[in-house]
Amino acid sequence: METADLTHHISRRFNEDLEKVRNQVLQMGGFVEQQLHKAITALVEGDSRLGESVATDDYKVNGMEVSIDEECSRILALRAPAAGDLRVIVAIIKTITDLERIGDEGEKIGYIASRLATMERPADKYREVKHLGRQVAQMVHDALDAFARMDAQAALKTAREDKMVDEEYESIQRQCITFMMEDPRAIRRALEIMWIVRALERIGDHAKNICEYVIYMVHGKDIRHTSLEDVARQIDAAQALPRR
Amino acid sequence: MRMWTFALVRLAGLLVVALCAGVLFGHVVAWLLLVISLYLAWQLVNLNRVDHWLRLRSQLDPPDLGGVWGDVVAQVVRLHRRKRYHKQRLVQLFRELRRSTAALPDGVIILSGAHEIVWFNRRAAALLGLKRPVDVGLRIDNLIRVPEFVQYLRAADYATPLVIRPPVGEESWLELTLVPYGAGQSLLLARDVTRQMQLEAMRKDFVANASHELRTPLTVISGYLDTLADDPAIDPSWSGPIRDMRAQAQRMNAIIADLLELSRLESAEGEAPRDPTDVPRMLERMQRDALAGADRPRHVLLALDSQDGLYGAGHELESAFSNLLVNALKYTLSDGTVRMRWWSDAEGAHFAVTDTGIGIPAEHIPRLTERFYRVDAGRSRDRGGSGLGLAIVKHALQRHGGHMTVESEVGKGSTFTCHFPKERVLTAGAAAAALAAAGGR
Repeated sequence: METADLTHHISRRFNEDLEKVRNQVLQMGGFVEQQLHKAITALVEGDSRLGESVATDDYKVNGMEVSIDEECSRILALRAPAAGDLRVIVAIIKTITDLERIGDEGEKIGYIASRLATMERPADKYREVKHLGRQVAQMVHDALDAFARMDAQAALKTAREDKMVDEEYESIQRQCITFMMEDPRAIRRALEIMWIVRALERIGDHAKNICEYVIYMVHGKDIRHTSLEDVARQIDAAQALPRR
Repeated sequence: MRMWTFALVRLAGLLVVALCAGVLFGHVVAWLLLVISLYLAWQLVNLNRVDHWLRLRSQLDPPDLGGVWGDVVAQVVRLHRRKRYHKQRLVQLFRELRRSTAALPDGVIILSGAHEIVWFNRRAAALLGLKRPVDVGLRIDNLIRVPEFVQYLRAADYATPLVIRPPVGEESWLELTLVPYGAGQSLLLARDVTRQMQLEAMRKDFVANASHELRTPLTVISGYLDTLADDPAIDPSWSGPIRDMRAQAQRMNAIIADLLELSRLESAEGEAPRDPTDVPRMLERMQRDALAGADRPRHVLLALDSQDGLYGAGHELESAFSNLLVNALKYTLSDGTVRMRWWSDAEGAHFAVTDTGIGIPAEHIPRLTERFYRVDAGRSRDRGGSGLGLAIVKHALQRHGGHMTVESEVGKGSTFTCHFPKERVLTAGAAAAALAAAGGR
């Protein structure tokens, strides 16, 4: 596998730098994952303090993004990496942007959750939203796992799940419209829920983006704006080839 | 040995034959050379056969060579057989070991010095969502990305296990323990503690709910007792019992208040907030309150060696400090001295309360912070107190990243010291600046 590229290097320092920045990305990912979990828990359990803490902790994600960005620029300037290493750096720079956006969406969810905690809770206790939240959190988790393992197959599989998230988003949207028509007093809450669901759907898109970067990093194929079926074919073809 | 003599005799015999032939037919030297060359050639052929056999030992039977060569070959065969036996035994042992660790009910992961996964058993794979074989060689914190775990790995303090939500399976809890061994390697043990955590949560809920429920009836009872105590129509012979009942009701109130405080501290997750707290003023206020008390030791002294404050939750710190002070006052006789001291150094800030009281025997010190733990059941109960004070202190300190140490000598007195880490210290300069900023606003 191409993973070996990371470990066989002329300059040991370069290796260490690359490893370090990759670790930082995954640490940032871990923190973002936790933020997302907390935000969803805050909503489901009506914990306004937890929601607020998610919103106030977002600055840490931003800080991590900046420091990883700096580290990447430093590596680009000092080492002028080529081929696989260059792809790793490029993928990292893109990944952290998406992670930061996920953090922002998480912040939004936390903030709205803390506001919703003071309102009356619906009978289903946001079951649908919770389910969607789980699904999206799992997607982010799988995307980061694929990143850690440099596993293009897993990345592709995760990217495909985005479709399910979109479907779920549609169905909650319809449900919210029904609520609003049934009871105008619920409009305010339904609108807030819409924001949250929208944020979750966006997080799913960002997770999908990360998966695409993983595929790019491993196979050197830019698969953005390509249908996933074509991508699957390309990956299979790339794996059938002997190692470059 | 016999073979060697035989070989020597044979060589000597050959030489004698060559010599005789030389004498009979002439050309002695040529005969000797011929015989020796033949002998050498025969030895080389043997050597070649042995070499050939050694190269392809596993496929071929040993060559059937007589004499010295046969001896050597037999030695090699014996050596080889012994080695194979040992190897088989080791492999068997190794397999057994692997099978037993694989069958362990806990997850086991072997980590290298750089926290890279070397090996893990099936249970670990199930608990932590690891995949074989792709995950071998990856750093464990790349896969278990929970920030607490990353910190735990980095802090290199593995005395207490870490409890986290695992990456797979939302509703469960995992306890992770890192055991370093050998040259930088370590063993990561993972255990599913969901049930314990649930029980613990149930216990906490129960304590909180029960205390809450007890509060209302108790308020009614003490309300009536207060009225009865002031009622002149009551037979004076009842005044003693009513006074006792009031005192006991008050004590119960104190216990419930402490229980609620404790369960609040326990249920508050994570670290205490970082509000700037002016500890010196707080301590001065506590000293004033103590001096205003009726039944108190003669001296209640306060030494403020530092004007630093703390970043923390003010009421939790106050509750911790006042619990220590109240304890000291309680166990010191009226002619004794209670000293409070507040200072900071390179390690952080410290608060100590020293009394000249009865002291605590050494064997009780480790258990002091347990709930309702009594050094001497009879004596401490009539001094009041809920038995929860030090547990509250411990929890409040933990939430501030601090800890408590206790030194005591029976008959001479005790010193309770709270230690706060440096990152929590609000230096006097910073405090003044914050105050000025607040004033300017």
